[in-house]
Amino acid sequence: MKMRGPIVVGFLTGAFLLVQFFVPHQSLKKIYEMLLDWGVVIGTFAIVLGLASLFRVHIDRIRQRRRGYGYSFVTLASFFVVAGIGLFKGMAPGGAFQWMFAWVQVPLDATVFSLLAFFMASAAYRSFRARSTEATILLIAAVIVILGRVPIGGEWTDGYLPRITEWMMIYPAVGAKRGIILGASLGAIAMALRIILGIERSHLGGE
Amino acid sequence: MTAGRALLIAAALLIAGNGWAGSEEFAPPLNVRVANDDTALAGDGIKISWSYAAGHKPPEGYRLAGFRVLVGEAKDELGAVDVVEGTAPRDLEVGNLVVGRNYWAQVEALYLPSEVVMTYDRQDPNQVTTPGLKVAAAEIVGPAQTVGRWYDPALTNVLVGVLLFSIITLVVLYVARRREMYIRPIAGLQAVDDAIGRATEMGRPILYISGLGGTGDVSTIAAMLVLGHLAHKTAPYGNRLVVPAIDSMVMATEREILSQAYLHAGHPEAYNAEDVFYVTDSQFGYATAVAGIMMRERPAVNFFMGYFAAESLVLAETGNMIDSLQIAGTDTDTQIPFFITACDYTLMGEELYAASAYLSRDPILLAQLKAQDIGKVLVGAVLIGGILATLVTTYLWQDGSSLVEQMLGWLKP
Repeated sequence: MKMRGPIVVGFLTGAFLLVQFFVPHQSLKKIYEMLLDWGVVIGTFAIVLGLASLFRVHIDRIRQRRRGYGYSFVTLASFFVVAGIGLFKGMAPGGAFQWMFAWVQVPLDATVFSLLAFFMASAAYRSFRARSTEATILLIAAVIVILGRVPIGGEWTDGYLPRITEWMMIYPAVGAKRGIILGASLGAIAMALRIILGIERSHLGGE
Repeated sequence: MTAGRALLIAAALLIAGNGWAGSEEFAPPLNVRVANDDTALAGDGIKISWSYAAGHKPPEGYRLAGFRVLVGEAKDELGAVDVVEGTAPRDLEVGNLVVGRNYWAQVEALYLPSEVVMTYDRQDPNQVTTPGLKVAAAEIVGPAQTVGRWYDPALTNVLVGVLLFSIITLVVLYVARRREMYIRPIAGLQAVDDAIGRATEMGRPILYISGLGGTGDVSTIAAMLVLGHLAHKTAPYGNRLVVPAIDSMVMATEREILSQAYLHAGHPEAYNAEDVFYVTDSQFGYATAVAGIMMRERPAVNFFMGYFAAESLVLAETGNMIDSLQIAGTDTDTQIPFFITACDYTLMGEELYAASAYLSRDPILLAQLKAQDIGKVLVGAVLIGGILATLVTTYLWQDGSSLVEQMLGWLKP
């Protein structure tokens, strides 16, 4: 019964959402919107759980003086400062909250994002070593695309390389992407069917 | 018929045809009609149309500035729903109504003193506040009942596709109950047992990342299903499964999945709720935190399953630096190349959705992978047929030139 209940709920909800996708009638749309509202309500409660988890993990780490516990201090302090300013000073444009977002959060995000260039270089160095047929094809394709994207590539090849690059980006690359998307869509439908029909039970503890 | 009588009839016809032609009054709109809006499939809309007497001249010093449309469920409960500036006759679709109700409508012609711009009430943009406004209302028309549709014809192709694929899946399930089917091996999933063995031997944790998605994302659901299987497999060995979450709802769901998985595996003591924790909902904050966890905890195995964006390479390269065995699975086509370069195994697209079935080794679930492959073959056949048909009609039948010539011509700079 412990497993049958969730399976029945899953079947009814999944079947309803599948049917309502094809039925534009307002009566079903209203129920759909109500279900979405329920999701928002549950999500709101989950935020409390998330915060409780955040506190417990970091307080434990500080209490047990685990490796890197100093970062937990920074995390909790940042939380209280930002939440305090947001609660007591508001989030109006030009205020301290927005200032922190613009001058702390955004630059930090940009810094991590910019690290990608270095990660890409190291990943490319490893991948482009021609140790197998696939790696060699990857290397050749990468050289063509890299050279085709810079002015000197066009100069050297009388304009052919940029055209070949463009062709590779528009046709083989997009074709492969669409193949992946099509496969993923079929996979998603199959997985949804498994869950709706109660065949897939791993999320309920079954194997 | 006398000439005078013919002239009178002609004048009457002219007036009937042009309405208020030549008169200098505040003329109301003509031919006001209200009907169910057939394009509002939900049944929450009506369509109101009207015209205006061509050639009508408003009184001296006034101009026709626009029309105001009023709608209500009763004649004495009409409320303004829109103000349409300009003089051209038109149709107006009014939405956000209730399906199955009757609605009455009225259209008012709005006259303003010449050279005066129309102004609106700040609280209610359907109320015109221009001084000197003159209103000429047409008769109230209706009622029109809103009618909802129970089927959207535009989605027929999707319905056919879903039904076809569902039938294939069910047929394959039926066949699978009777005989064993060959399922192609997926290297990334075959390596899961080795990965668990590695973690057990090294005595280090397994890090499981279920991506950036929330519980509403289908790839996150797939990732959570894989997590359940992984917990089943790791429970007997006592491996620590560290699961940092970017979404508190995902965290709560993953905790429940893990506790149930450990319970069903017969090792409830192996479950540690503290190992499934919320980090932050900031994309790069999450990536940095996970990278820090990797550097401190040195997990033997990293799993990246679900939806990923730009942080994928930050995570995968950090894992690579600490020599973790890495298995990734995503349907995000832009991130697959990064995972392929930085991870040991990558599940591409549908392999992520197949992972749960594959790991279960249940013949019924495995049969669904067969259905996916049949579906892909069908889609591939349709695509190839479409491509051939397009090539033949475009390059051979229309101008008779060779396809190779066309392609070479296109490549010329």
